Amino acid sequence: MTAALTFTTNEAAIVYTSRMMEEDRLYFVAIGGPPLLAVLLSKQLHAPKIAYVVEDGTIAPEMPVPTPPFMIGTGLASSRAVAWTDMNTVDFHAGLGYLDYGVLAAVQVDQFGNFNSTFLGDDFDRPARRFGGPGGATEIAALCWRTILMTRLERRKFVKKLDFMSSPGFLDGSPGARERVGMPAETGPYRVVTERAVFGFDEETRRMTLLAVAPWSSVDDVLSEMEFVPLVAADLQSLAPPTEEELAMLRANIDPTGRTISGDWITLEEAGGRLRRVVAEPAASRA
Amino acid sequence: MASPNGKTIAVLDEGIGAYRQPDPDGMRRFVRDHKDRRLVDKRMTEQDAVSRFVDDGAYVSYDTNVWRRGPSSLMREVIRQRKRDLWLAAKFSTHDATLLTAGGCVSKIDVGWMEVGRVITEAMNAGRLKLYEWTNGALAYRHLAGALGVPFLPLRYVGGTDVFRNSGAKLIEDPYTGQSVCLVPAVNPDVALIHVNQCDMYGNARIFGPGLAPVETAMASKRVILSTEEIIDTEEIRKHPGATTLPYYLVDAVVHAPFGGYPGTVPGLYGADLQHLMEFGVAQAQGKMDEYLEKWVFSVSSHTEMLEKRVGLEKLNLLRAGETHTEGYYT
Repeated sequence: MTAALTFTTNEAAIVYTSRMMEEDRLYFVAIGGPPLLAVLLSKQLHAPKIAYVVEDGTIAPEMPVPTPPFMIGTGLASSRAVAWTDMNTVDFHAGLGYLDYGVLAAVQVDQFGNFNSTFLGDDFDRPARRFGGPGGATEIAALCWRTILMTRLERRKFVKKLDFMSSPGFLDGSPGARERVGMPAETGPYRVVTERAVFGFDEETRRMTLLAVAPWSSVDDVLSEMEFVPLVAADLQSLAPPTEEELAMLRANIDPTGRTISGDWITLEEAGGRLRRVVAEPAASRA
Repeated sequence: MASPNGKTIAVLDEGIGAYRQPDPDGMRRFVRDHKDRRLVDKRMTEQDAVSRFVDDGAYVSYDTNVWRRGPSSLMREVIRQRKRDLWLAAKFSTHDATLLTAGGCVSKIDVGWMEVGRVITEAMNAGRLKLYEWTNGALAYRHLAGALGVPFLPLRYVGGTDVFRNSGAKLIEDPYTGQSVCLVPAVNPDVALIHVNQCDMYGNARIFGPGLAPVETAMASKRVILSTEEIIDTEEIRKHPGATTLPYYLVDAVVHAPFGGYPGTVPGLYGADLQHLMEFGVAQAQGKMDEYLEKWVFSVSSHTEMLEKRVGLEKLNLLRAGETHTEGYYT
């Protein structure tokens, strides 16, 4: 009766994001973490010629697989690029409109796709938890035509009010809000990808809209993990779970050290033609 | 601001973050009066370079970071000399800012991105460290403004965010298009610390591989200290002028520092010492940064002594041998 499949929350989000990537587009991806792994997975399975830039100025590298440990701190991350430039240069390319998609990770996100990567708490100078800061996320989210955000679906992450808005989505959602503060026209968040749901944004209201749900989850399950209530698309799609092929590639070749793909484990079983989640184990209990 | 046609350019909004007043003429005067145009031998020890050119209270910019082609040996010397009250530009910094903060050297950081753990959080909560928000790109761009000798540059991001609110950016109505555009102030650091692959004794320098903003950082800064893996002949520089990243007159000090990027990588030459980076992470998590700094900084008198006594030839050889991918750097 069962065909079991086990994957982590991060693996699911990386797989869903990698499936969205197109070979005829140019990507500006965060220099490490799930966004980089998504583009690397896509290059192996879906779009081998996909080109991406990272903010150290590396343009269209071809990182070898299996990827090196601590890849952000290796020369291999920049190997076989077409050009080695610098941060200002790739930001200029984004400012000119060459970069179609930015792919970024977020700590918190609100209903208009604004996001936080700076701190949690209510006092900027005395943070409950301080993070590294936006890095290049603010320019990437402002200058690329479309932004794809990756995060976990949790109430503390999908919040009504961000503790700090590091990087822009549609700001207050009003027409022309981004242009009024100096951002290029016709840009903004495009997708928010999590382990069990994918969101887009409503053309009119700019509100986050649930587009697809994993078959082992449900709309109610998704809404229960969000502090704000999103719109729900009329033609809600089902997210095919990660395949064995995708997971094998991810684990053996894209993140062989397992540092980034680690997360809470989800185990699915098929029963009566339906996928359901039978086990969800927090990352901490894996050892 | 009044424009020549008598109309006023409106400042629509501005952040509350502190920044040093841009002073392009001050920078020009400094260059006129203090930067040597002659080809002079600038080789000196790391002790001399840091003691001469890094003052307490200085604004310090570095390139790249401790993971990758960073001026790590110079940073350890800054800590060893117990410099105080520094203001750092953390444009894609890694744990450089943490090390300097743990060493008691830092009171302000302009943040794009940096590795943050207990050291930074505890210093902030104790009121010893103030952060100003920018982004990696905005900081690199402020260095570009400094390098161009202009007081500010317009840019099309940061507006509308809390980064804007906590930075020194302004939002204005562009007098050409009438649209909104942000401005960021130029930064002219007091001193830049840059690790390079090769340079001659005068400071003509080559950097291989992608970088953050080494050229802008060197041009914008009043003083430039280079640490270099290798000192090469000027004849070699003159044979391949297209390979020169920085010309000599930008540079004040040349410090010969093989493995100067240790524990990070200098791509094409040696890999990062992951064991050391783990030791750093563990020391921070356990609140034992003092012990870490004692071992790697204070208990040795120089970079060379640290390599000899704390790292050892065997490890150094392994790090070199492990860097098998050299394509594009020295080939």
